Amino acid sequence: MILSGKTAVVTGCLQGIGRATLDVFAQNGANVFACCQYETEEFTNHIKELSKETGVEIFEIYFDLMDDESIKQAAREIQKSKRTIDILVNIAGMTKDALFQMVTMDQLKTVFQVNYFSQILFSQYIIKLMLRNGSGSVINTSSISALDGNPGQLVYASSKAAVIAATKTMSAELAPKGIRVNAIAPGVIDTAMTAIIPQEDMNRLMSKSNIKKVGTPIEVANVILYLASDLSSFVTGQTIRVDGGIG
Amino acid sequence: MAELVKEDNVILEGKNVIITGTNRGIGRAMLEEFAKNGANIWAHARVETPEFLKDINAVAEEYHVEIRPLCFELTDYDAMKVAVKKIMSSKISVDALVNNAGITYNALFQMSSSDQLRNQLEVNFISVFMLTQYISKLMTRQKKGSIINIASSAAFDGNSGKSVYGATKAAIVAMTDSIAAELGVYGIRANCIAPGITETEMLATMPEAAVAEAKATADMRRGGKPSEIAKTAVFLASDLSSYVTGQTIRVDGGLK
Repeated sequence: MILSGKTAVVTGCLQGIGRATLDVFAQNGANVFACCQYETEEFTNHIKELSKETGVEIFEIYFDLMDDESIKQAAREIQKSKRTIDILVNIAGMTKDALFQMVTMDQLKTVFQVNYFSQILFSQYIIKLMLRNGSGSVINTSSISALDGNPGQLVYASSKAAVIAATKTMSAELAPKGIRVNAIAPGVIDTAMTAIIPQEDMNRLMSKSNIKKVGTPIEVANVILYLASDLSSFVTGQTIRVDGGIG
Repeated sequence: MAELVKEDNVILEGKNVIITGTNRGIGRAMLEEFAKNGANIWAHARVETPEFLKDINAVAEEYHVEIRPLCFELTDYDAMKVAVKKIMSSKISVDALVNNAGITYNALFQMSSSDQLRNQLEVNFISVFMLTQYISKLMTRQKKGSIINIASSAAFDGNSGKSVYGATKAAIVAMTDSIAAELGVYGIRANCIAPGITETEMLATMPEAAVAEAKATADMRRGGKPSEIAKTAVFLASDLSSYVTGQTIRVDGGLK
């Protein structure tokens, strides 16, 4: 299998793209540290079933991206497992949509804490573990909003643009040490985050799309699988749009 | 979870693909990687030589796939038509077309001759345009297909000595984006790969110092292997990339 024997850390596994990535990774033979903000019965049952079905090990890790101390503790927990970490996928994120003139400093700080600051902090810890074995693949989650701009998404788009800059810089620093760093920029994907998009905006987006359909979380997870695997062994510092050809 | 990919590393099982320029370099590596991933292949080369036939038969045997030769000069459009007819009459569907074959001259802008300009434009762009036009007709009827064009980092970065080559590859990118926009509704995806410094014979046309400098400053501090370009083509031909279209993926080790 594409990820046989590899161990991955994936954030945002409770739902959406993170959940699909957990599933695709497990189906492809990877052991996964499945990170979530909080525990639910549905999630723990899902992990048990997935693990039984695929034969891989899945470890639950809980932390809140708003809380630096909990991030540190989670990283320590992963470190204590003494496992070699081959793959880090930062998916957890949030949005607070508001027009530019209406954006509050609180919204900016909250979204940047979750989508950017916490991602850097968590990555610092996990990549330290990767550096020990001198190889690894990191996948960050940006958005087409960061590349195209999107009315009402100043906060979200800016935080996701910061992720692209971080990705390029991390690649420049870490690829010489064997760690590739790339980002994905999903378009309109069928998740809770896009369920709130007004129908009018959705129609506008779909009219610009080459494929004329909303993407599934699995379709994004499959691109993450490519970036995590040896298939992309010479790809680094890139942001790959997974958007069905929007714009 | 029926959508999930489960096969042991084989992600093109049962797919049929056309790859141009499979006798050497990146194309030869594609032949191997696509076969390894279970695809049946129309293997294009300019000339049908005994060595070429022997080579593709050996690859077919090793990976238990079917590989058929498809030999014609890319710029001989009558011969191209004959080849396309051969594919049509085989009744085999075409899941992916990989336009890999290309040529390059390294010449400073002021020293580039109009012959070089026309020759590269003909091979790298017009022939790709024509072949894609024929094959996309077939894909439109099938309501599926993935078109993969090989561009170059030279299309974006403006390398000395590559004014012609870079321009032909930029033309490929623009064409690919339009194809993606026009044919997306028919289930056809179109993407480019932009290789950077790749260890092939073509690299020998570049000044050694420029190659050394590019490798030393790339994030990965090395050149790419042809198989590494081929693996991204496998990804783009596969269902793993079902929501990726109109894109150019740089496979360049973080070229600066």
